[in-house]
Amino acid sequence: MTKKLSLTPYLFLTPALLIIAVFVLYPILAVFYYSFTEYDIVTAPRWVGLANYQHLLQDPTFWLALRHSLIYLIVTPTLIILSILLAIAVNRNLPGIQVFRALYYLPAVSGSIAVGITWRWLFDTQGGLLNGMLIWLGVLKEPVQWLSEPAFTLPIAMLLTIWMGVGYYMVIFLAGLQNIPEELYDAAMIDGCNDWQKHWYVSLPGLRPQITFVAVISSLAALKVFDEIYVLTLRSGGILDSGVTMVFMLWKEAFRLSHAGYASAIALVLLAITLVFSVMNIRLQERDAGA
Amino acid sequence: MEHVQTARIPAVRVHRKTKRRNFGEKLFWYVVLILVSIGTVFPFLWIFLTAFKGPLDAVYSTPPQFIPHDPTLDNFVRVWQQLPIGNFFLNTILVAVCTTGLSVLITALAAYPFAKMKFQGRNALFYMLLATLIVPVQLTYIPSFVLAVRFFHYYNSIVALILPNIASVFNIFLLRQAFSSVPDDLIDAARMDGANELRIWWSILLPVIRPSLAAVAIFTFVTSWNDFLWPSLMLPTMANKTLPVGLAALQGMFSSDFRGTAAGVTMTVIPIMIFFILLQKQFIQGLTGAVKG
Repeated sequence: MTKKLSLTPYLFLTPALLIIAVFVLYPILAVFYYSFTEYDIVTAPRWVGLANYQHLLQDPTFWLALRHSLIYLIVTPTLIILSILLAIAVNRNLPGIQVFRALYYLPAVSGSIAVGITWRWLFDTQGGLLNGMLIWLGVLKEPVQWLSEPAFTLPIAMLLTIWMGVGYYMVIFLAGLQNIPEELYDAAMIDGCNDWQKHWYVSLPGLRPQITFVAVISSLAALKVFDEIYVLTLRSGGILDSGVTMVFMLWKEAFRLSHAGYASAIALVLLAITLVFSVMNIRLQERDAGA
Repeated sequence: MEHVQTARIPAVRVHRKTKRRNFGEKLFWYVVLILVSIGTVFPFLWIFLTAFKGPLDAVYSTPPQFIPHDPTLDNFVRVWQQLPIGNFFLNTILVAVCTTGLSVLITALAAYPFAKMKFQGRNALFYMLLATLIVPVQLTYIPSFVLAVRFFHYYNSIVALILPNIASVFNIFLLRQAFSSVPDDLIDAARMDGANELRIWWSILLPVIRPSLAAVAIFTFVTSWNDFLWPSLMLPTMANKTLPVGLAALQGMFSSDFRGTAAGVTMTVIPIMIFFILLQKQFIQGLTGAVKG
């Protein structure tokens, strides 16, 4: 019996492991090698040692991209707070609640390109709804060039990420809330908690696994943001590179400028950051859980 | 009898009071829920309405005009004539269906031993897989691009969109949770009866975890439908593009034609929205079982 079982688990795992080996593990090794080469994807890579990394340290665009990617992480706490509030709002038995849940999820299923194009028009100087509304309400006198103003590029993209993500994370927190035993809330009521205290003392601790999960997932997503920037800046990265993030720079260097070796060095720095960040994130959550 | 009746009166009063309180509370929540839904729906509504605007309707005015006075389907016709939208749809559906089917199959196979079998290196392997979740997928695109051109020879074909996406570690993780919640007795009984593991997996476990399978399938389908960067690298020919890649091309071609762009967005977004609304109950229920932390 044990002997018969011994090969079986590996057989079940083989297809998945094969795909992961080819499309995740091999690429990590290959990118590591490419990062020490000059490579344009067409001709064979040429060994250049640490030249790409030296170049990286002196490239102002890289430091800008790094800064932008770190700034982008603000979306994570914002998303956690908003989606928990939203989950609490939809976690009740009201007629039609399913409809609201679906409506909140719509931005998440509609796709970043379609949504990004919609937002580009929302913020458009000439045809944009935002300028139209603000002028009509008397807030603005002249249309604002939202998307040509470097200071607005990143905030608008982050707002878009939040708008698209909040419904998805809401569903995760909703699932978490529904797993919290009703008795805990009853006990809190008996102890004299009001509605908000009840959520503070029961819901939040109960949602701890989901908060860790969402913190990790959404910060990883924030570090690799691309589609929003691509669509909002019409693939330019924004005026004065105001929207260039790590992944945008990676894409531009690898697939527009044919600097695949240089892009590989960027990719490895990105990997290092995500690694550090995820470990920090999990440690932080564990420490909070212990306290 | 009298006693009972007098006792009833205060009870009714309390009931009325809570009823009134409930009504106020309900009203409050409906107001909140409606306000939030305006925030999530309004941009779409605006785009959908713009897609039907005729040449006489203003796309930009103060105050903004929302309802088309001169509704027309011309914008859709114009987009349809200049871009192979039909191809985009077929390609996207084909990719999403194949990716979903294969991914559910392969990840459900992999999730079972992690949940219910003891074997050498189980935890090490599982944590290694979890660690790959940290790897930014765009990091893999440079080598995957080279593989696609040199090794698999599927550059400019939709197979390139399916193969790399059928072993999602995320799905393995979710399905492992689902398998774990199935009682061991069920499996042990089947093993006693001499059923082999593949048979147990297929005819006993998969039906039990069907809600989680549905959630994973819906999620994979939507993700595949909306995937952009990798497809945009793999599909240079217009006729081979998927909807998001085609839509990005449309954004460039119709950059000054807001009505046409709106029609393109509308055509892309409506089907996936309907798909999700029809299946959202399964999605949320499945996720409730799967994400237990």
